[in-house]
Amino acid sequence: MEAAIEYIGEHTWAGVLGHTLTIASLVSAALATIAYFLGAERKDGAWTRLGRLGFRVHTVAVLGIVTVLFVMLFNHWFEFDYVWKHSNLQMPLKYIASCFWEGQEGSFLLWTFWHVVLGNILIARAKDWEPQVMAVVALVQVFLAFMLLGIYVGDLKLGSSPFLLIRELPENLGLPWTAMPGYLSAIPQFADGRGLNPLLQNYWMVIHPPTLFLGFAATLVPFAYAIAGLWRGERTAWMAPALPWAFFGVMILGTGILMGGAWAYEALSFGGFWAWDPVENASLVPWITLVASGHLMLVNKRKETSLFTALALTLVTFILVLYSTFLTRSGVLGDTSVHSFTGDGMLPALVRFLLIFTGIAAAMLHPDRRQRWFYTIASLALLAIGIALSVEVEAILLFGALTAIHLVQAYRAGYASSSPEEALWSREFWLFIASLVLLLSAAQITFSTSIPVTNLMLAPFKGAFAWLGDRTGLEFFTKLSQDGLAPPSDAIRHYNQWQVPFAIVTSLLVAFTQYLRWKDTDLRRFLKQLALSLVLSAAVAGMAVAALDYSAREAQLAFMLFTTAFAAVANFTYIPAVLKGNLRAAGPSVAHAGFALVLLGALVSTSRQDEVSSNARHMDLRLLGDQFSNSSDILLYRGDTVRMGEHYVHYRAKRQEGVNLLYEMDYFAVEPRRYTAGDTVRIGGTLFRARADHDAGPEFLTQQPEYWQPLEDYAKRDLWYARDWSPTRPGARLFGLAPFIQLNPRFGNVAEPSTRHWLTRDLYTHVRYADMAMDPDTALDGSITPDDAWMPNRRYDKQVGDTIVTPTSFLVIDSVYVVRDSATKAMLGERFTVHAAALRIRDLYNPDRQFEARPLVIYADGQPVMGRAAEVPALRIKYSLASVDGRKIGLDVAEAEFVVMQAIVFPGINILWVGCVLLALGTGMAVWQRIKRP
Amino acid sequence: MKRSHIIALVLIAVAMAAFIATLTDSSTFVDIAEAKARPGKEFKVKGYLDKTAPVEYEPLVNANLTTFTLVDDQGEKCRVRLAKAKPYDFERSESIVLTGKVNGSGEFEAHDMLMKCPSKYNEMQQMSEAGS
Repeated sequence: MEAAIEYIGEHTWAGVLGHTLTIASLVSAALATIAYFLGAERKDGAWTRLGRLGFRVHTVAVLGIVTVLFVMLFNHWFEFDYVWKHSNLQMPLKYIASCFWEGQEGSFLLWTFWHVVLGNILIARAKDWEPQVMAVVALVQVFLAFMLLGIYVGDLKLGSSPFLLIRELPENLGLPWTAMPGYLSAIPQFADGRGLNPLLQNYWMVIHPPTLFLGFAATLVPFAYAIAGLWRGERTAWMAPALPWAFFGVMILGTGILMGGAWAYEALSFGGFWAWDPVENASLVPWITLVASGHLMLVNKRKETSLFTALALTLVTFILVLYSTFLTRSGVLGDTSVHSFTGDGMLPALVRFLLIFTGIAAAMLHPDRRQRWFYTIASLALLAIGIALSVEVEAILLFGALTAIHLVQAYRAGYASSSPEEALWSREFWLFIASLVLLLSAAQITFSTSIPVTNLMLAPFKGAFAWLGDRTGLEFFTKLSQDGLAPPSDAIRHYNQWQVPFAIVTSLLVAFTQYLRWKDTDLRRFLKQLALSLVLSAAVAGMAVAALDYSAREAQLAFMLFTTAFAAVANFTYIPAVLKGNLRAAGPSVAHAGFALVLLGALVSTSRQDEVSSNARHMDLRLLGDQFSNSSDILLYRGDTVRMGEHYVHYRAKRQEGVNLLYEMDYFAVEPRRYTAGDTVRIGGTLFRARADHDAGPEFLTQQPEYWQPLEDYAKRDLWYARDWSPTRPGARLFGLAPFIQLNPRFGNVAEPSTRHWLTRDLYTHVRYADMAMDPDTALDGSITPDDAWMPNRRYDKQVGDTIVTPTSFLVIDSVYVVRDSATKAMLGERFTVHAAALRIRDLYNPDRQFEARPLVIYADGQPVMGRAAEVPALRIKYSLASVDGRKIGLDVAEAEFVVMQAIVFPGINILWVGCVLLALGTGMAVWQRIKRP
Repeated sequence: MKRSHIIALVLIAVAMAAFIATLTDSSTFVDIAEAKARPGKEFKVKGYLDKTAPVEYEPLVNANLTTFTLVDDQGEKCRVRLAKAKPYDFERSESIVLTGKVNGSGEFEAHDMLMKCPSKYNEMQQMSEAGS
């Protein structure tokens, strides 16, 4: 038996305390669940109070866990794995919150924390719904506490704890250094943490995750209320208290999702705000179903209508949040998403978490208690068999089938009413249709995003698919029998293909449904009220379509422009027309208008985004080869001024600020070029001279007869050095942009954009390729010259007579000689020998252009000490001699520094941001109204 | 027919259409050998960068062309022409997923690439070595 090791400098008490508090939170949540359950079943106040006490204890435990983790981060206790991975010494203190939730465990903790906050509010406000609602909340907390536990049950890892010491990690157990008492100070890696990814060191990381997780947490409340309602047999009464919560969730989750989009647009270089990435989709889908469920709750408040759908949507929203957790954290997405993380063994636990709550929700939907028990027991049996016999996928599929049958039975037993249908032109009916459209939209996104999961589910049937493939010859089946399906090649096109039609239908519904009355509508009055909006929006849309030049092929997009404009206008006019200016009731209209503007802004800015960098006009012939048609980026030499879109852009300099390398660009206005008589210009291979002063027009050829005299006699040199004809020239400097690269040896360098905002459009620029060396050039004698605007050298080891082809030049090494002229020798003395190389250089793309260069290197005592490079400014190349050894030389070739940049114009993107604000504002107003006037 | 039945049918029809469209839209993961066997057909190929082969990116010649060699899980190699600028830290990538097709010369022309960089940090190994 070894003696227990006393480690120096560790704060193990913190880890132990944190872990203990986690267990405490689990136990107290479990007790609260049981107590609340009994309080609900027995209608016993004493049990309910016990449950409340349990939840309060749980609250204290969770707050304790949060505090401990903060203390660990704040004090930089790098012996802990979580602290080491997500923070370091240089990190500014304001980002400590970001460190807290950067990792898996921290974000689970954030989610748990929000549930605790909402739970306590519910205790205060739920009144006689408290026992049932809180039983559900506490049960969820039990599962979340498991996720933070980080213990092993046999082979199964349950959760992941943020309180592990690095030396306790499974991969480090038994390693020699873990037995060293002083390892913390001895091993240098422990002196500092890995740090928060610099890409996340911004204010977005401080506000986006908490908002998003509060939104996720908020979906639990309507879920809990729905379960409570079904539990008590009061199938619609739960909607009144749940309604403000549902729309609170809509507001917060929607804001959180849009923040993610804004963050991506502002700081990431994929060029947009929505990529239909699985993680983005997984958060959007519950929002869509929450919106649908909230609206159906509105309908059911008046009269029980489409109740099954209302319940199902409410329940499925929380299930989808669990599903989104599963998708993003379990690693199942694998190779299909930039966001997929390693599983950390979370997959089984997350799947079971998800399935258990699906089972609970499905069970409760059946009105008959015995049927509920039958379904529950059958499901648990399937779970047990699946685990025991390792046939979990098959068990899950059977569970799915069982659930489907159960739900059909539930519907027929409890919800299929033969009451008269709603009138066709009633608000109830169209809200129901709207919910279905939203459901379809959510289903399509979910299905496409879940392709990796589908592959997993279909894996047991690979044999069957192979057989089917052989028998039918259909490639589809063969695909399924092998690796399975991969997500669509062009994700954006695929999702837009479906979501644009859904958006069109949804915006139409958003436009007119508010104008419908409950029960039935007088159609004439309805049309009259809408007529103005219809005409106005048709006019606006018509002008926009013309202005933005939509072609016949884009008819669907043009139609969407109309429907979203219609939705915005109709909702804005609803306030004076129907609400008679009553702003307190205007929340929904403002929110709907905001939503419509979000869609409109997204439509215009995405469909009309313009990659101006691909249209940049370089007069340089070599770039007009057929590769040019594929290029979307421009190459800018330092000091160059090039026309790009509506500006001239000039790459001025590179500057380092902290970890960021900024590439400073100046943007100039475009002005017509004025030529004076006698000016010489080049067009193609010919020189022309201006006959008279004139302003350049758009086309040279139309102006040529009048203004330009072709020259007959001129030296080749004149042709090379003449300027190309150009209709415009740079005018005044308008603004500057500095796209930058964040240097990070640990996490990888990241390019971040720099965007210019105007009212009607944005210019978004980012650097795709650049010289990232800011290291000052050190001369051979040790003197330092600052970064001198050249790309890194390419070294060529060659001999006299060799030829070298660089991307822009073709050179021959004519000779190597020693410089023996008396002036040089006198200056330097006997110790030094000056070697020079005579190079003959040709422009690779214009063989007639030839140059000479003679770089030198000075040797002293057999070592090179200093050199002088030879530049060929016309080709923007510099040649340096690094070494001379007889007939062999080491030649360094460097091109003038350049960057490759992409620039996109996003028209109308401010419509999107205005829409976001209105959506949040309007929903907030509506929630406030509901709370004040339930 | 009852209105609700009509609605149900429309719902199912749209859902089926989306389902089928997704499945036909979906691409397939294949290995290099199969992609080479069916030139001109769009696939996704998974693999990693062959660090022994040259990675060519000459922005002065074509700013949107990166050429490198991909090795797939079977060990097959293939020269790839990616129609994008060379990503930062490309040489550090652990695995890549390319979308594109094999052209007439047996090279894979990719228009999209997903890159995974090492998520496990190597400092941990150093720590274990340091202590021994």
